[in-house]
Amino acid sequence: MSRRTALKIAGATLGAAAFAKAVAPITQWAADQSVDEFLQQHYRELSPADMAKVIERLETETKIDYGADVHISDPKPQPGVKFGYALNLSVCVGCRRCAEACHKENNHDRLSGNSYIRVFEMQKGTIDLEQGNTTYTHAVPDPQKYYMPVQCQQCDNPPCVHVCPVEATWKEKDGIVVVDYNWCIGCRYCEAACPYHARRFNWTKPQVPQEEINPVQAYLSNRIRPQGVMEKCTFCLHRTREGRLPACLEACPTGARVFGNLLDPDSEIRWVLANKRVFVLKEELGTKPSFFYFFDK
Amino acid sequence: MSAHSSASRPRFEPDPTRGHFSNYVRFLWRAVIDATDGNGWFYAWMTLLSAVALVGLNAWATQIHHGMVVTAMTDHVSWGLYIANFTFMVGLAAGGVMMVIPAYLYHDDEMHDVVIVGEMLAIAAIVMCIAFVVVDLGRPDRAWHLIPGIGVFHWPMSMLTWDVLVLNGYLLINLHICGYLLYMRFIGRRPNPRWYVPFVFISIVWAISIHTVTAFLYCGLGGRPFWNTALLAPRFLASAFVSGPAFIIIGLQILRRVANVHISDRPLSVLANIMRVTILINLLMVASEVFTEFYSGTSHTSAARYLYFGLHGAHGLVPWIWTSVVFGIVSAILLLRPGVIAHKTQLTIACVLAFVAVWIEKGMGLIIPGFIPSTLHEIVEYSPSLIEWQIMAGIWALGLLVYTVALKIGLPVLTTPHASKH
Amino acid sequence: MKAPRYTLCLVALALAGSAAGLLLSHAAPPVIHQAATPTPSDSSAVAIVRHAVTIKPGPATPTVLTNALNRSGEPVPVSCSTCHSTRSPNIERHSAAELTEFHQGLAYKHGDLSCLSCHNASNYDTLRKADSSAIAYPNVMELCGQCHGTQLRDYRAGAHGGMNGHWDLSRGSRERNNCVDCHDPHAPAYPRLKPVFAPVDRGARQQQERAAHADKESAHD
Repeated sequence: MSRRTALKIAGATLGAAAFAKAVAPITQWAADQSVDEFLQQHYRELSPADMAKVIERLETETKIDYGADVHISDPKPQPGVKFGYALNLSVCVGCRRCAEACHKENNHDRLSGNSYIRVFEMQKGTIDLEQGNTTYTHAVPDPQKYYMPVQCQQCDNPPCVHVCPVEATWKEKDGIVVVDYNWCIGCRYCEAACPYHARRFNWTKPQVPQEEINPVQAYLSNRIRPQGVMEKCTFCLHRTREGRLPACLEACPTGARVFGNLLDPDSEIRWVLANKRVFVLKEELGTKPSFFYFFDK
Repeated sequence: MSAHSSASRPRFEPDPTRGHFSNYVRFLWRAVIDATDGNGWFYAWMTLLSAVALVGLNAWATQIHHGMVVTAMTDHVSWGLYIANFTFMVGLAAGGVMMVIPAYLYHDDEMHDVVIVGEMLAIAAIVMCIAFVVVDLGRPDRAWHLIPGIGVFHWPMSMLTWDVLVLNGYLLINLHICGYLLYMRFIGRRPNPRWYVPFVFISIVWAISIHTVTAFLYCGLGGRPFWNTALLAPRFLASAFVSGPAFIIIGLQILRRVANVHISDRPLSVLANIMRVTILINLLMVASEVFTEFYSGTSHTSAARYLYFGLHGAHGLVPWIWTSVVFGIVSAILLLRPGVIAHKTQLTIACVLAFVAVWIEKGMGLIIPGFIPSTLHEIVEYSPSLIEWQIMAGIWALGLLVYTVALKIGLPVLTTPHASKH
Repeated sequence: MKAPRYTLCLVALALAGSAAGLLLSHAAPPVIHQAATPTPSDSSAVAIVRHAVTIKPGPATPTVLTNALNRSGEPVPVSCSTCHSTRSPNIERHSAAELTEFHQGLAYKHGDLSCLSCHNASNYDTLRKADSSAIAYPNVMELCGQCHGTQLRDYRAGAHGGMNGHWDLSRGSRERNNCVDCHDPHAPAYPRLKPVFAPVDRGARQQQERAAHADKESAHD
């Protein structure tokens, strides 16, 4: 063996050792990942039996990671139902109780104070969001302002769904745009595509104290999300697909929110669409939202 | 393999008595030797690059462990330094083809000699592109979901799937061309045009496509007015044909000094002439975008206002973009001077300035302002974290490693005189 | 207008489709007007239960605060009729500020109305409608609706006022707020309140610090 070859071998050995040291954090992370999770198929390719196994695994993992006993279901869209939401801007006082309720209901990361709803304090006389502000702390409502909460608009022509390279997000029959948190690769293209800042990324593993975890969970909505995937408002489908009202609506102290079935001509939401002057946000983008705003006067 | 080789021929020399399989293995063996042999400077350079790459790898491992919270990205600015570099790198990869067009389309023989330098740049740049996308993924362990047939490939709807196809396709085409030419020269045969010329022409079209598709990633998003402009793809191409030739001009001059390779002035002047045109086209396009934004004064100009002048007291990108503008203009002035090709220092300065200008313009000047203000007009600024800089440096080191190795393999084969040449 | 959906009575709609049997199975047993529920196997006529929409009742016995304080330092309420059953009203008075006894601290800001616009001088345990007829306190919404017709219309349509429970009445009940749950009848403008849950815009930054912190801890382990 020549001196040069020996040097090469020594160099390669040193390099391999440095390499192993450099990737050590990955092995730490990988210890928490399961093979079943890695191999799991897309939501729509899971049979009911597969799904039962997945849910069992997720419930066990939640117990181990968060100490909480939770029940994860997988409610399906109801036939003849397409959800719509309307928000009365004359009545909203901007108290942000909806955002807080969303935070608790959907098991959001406590440290980042995440919520699917952002409430804008708007100048009267304009709907220019550039003049809006989300960080107000004074008593509300300010008589010179009005308040506009913005959350996922559950578009009928959703840009976020179009751009996803792996179909990890799609629109369900009842109009809800959902994310398979176990299929998303975390490229955040949907977050760039959404015109409503409705999507959120799990920049780290969410932290929720055991006693604060909402145990009523669904696979496609408020179960605790893994690190590194997208999430979004689902109109609380774990509630609404069971016929209940969304958490943000129940939390609203002024009754500014109207929720219901767009396909039912007798529904409250249809009454609002027929009798109020309704508008949608950024109509010019052609996203066809299922979320409507209106003023009483 | 080597046990069967005749004594007179080392296992890394071609053996005409044997078939392609054996010779290809010999070729690879030769490649490994060439890639790892060199003088002290070579080892120092490779060690430096490896060390930086390992720092980047460690930073990436940390990012996987803790999540992307270790970056400075937020839900408001959800793409940052990685996608900025990705966008630039696609341009660099496409720019490599600017060697190919004069060589093959216009039969410029002197360009023929160095065209492989451009194609190898394309390979290295594409490797870096892929690396920048992978480090941007929140779940790189799920990258297999993107593989057609195994995962779920949302084609043709998602532009990102197009990008996966064109980038990997471009990588394969260039690997084929480089590999074929090198192997043919290795075994001392004249390359059969049927096996590479069609691919060369495909690669020209394909180079355009990778940058067009990458521009479509952004300009197809109606919710981001800063990107939502039809001029984006042409702008990408114009800037790619600035940064690509600039890098190659610098690279050829370095090669002249450190490697025992004869490179005439001809390729340098061809590339500099290309840059003279493209840098002006690029500046013109930037100017027309700026005019449209600021003259119309619609609410859609807020991102441009933030970028160039700052908005509501936030002006994190202002120093970046003006650096780019000044560098671009100075570079254009230098390049337009008739004597620049003879004056190598000026040429090098012009190329470095142009390269940096385009890097800023495609990255901090294009990707970041797309997110500021946010779609709901909130202003959350972005300045890359240390981890992001480390990962970026690591990937650049990886790219330069690939490029150095590729050149190391390619140049001795190219400089070995062969009777069959042309 | 259609039959209002907030109606207090329970309606059972006969609909075809055996699926409704399933719906029934996890619904709380409500009072049903119609005949007995058919068995799930009977597909000819299956009832979908419409659960109740209840409106929180208004206060049953009206009270007013006195200036006497209880042991916790809170004003003691007293029933209106305690005094008003024996005293005749002073129709000259238009607001609490003009009163010298009781009603202390009653901020009054409700348009041009005076006390007796709504309070029934002949029976203070009831309210008074514009046509002078008495109306019970729990039915206060009918009184409000005399002037606030658009609000009452919106309320009836389900587009005004907070609620809890189910949007889908075939699957559960709903409880709705009364006018005076949210509006103080003496000063009905919605009060200003302190907003909660301000967004943490640099949340990612904080998390980063936490991650760095966690890193240090794991290094110590």
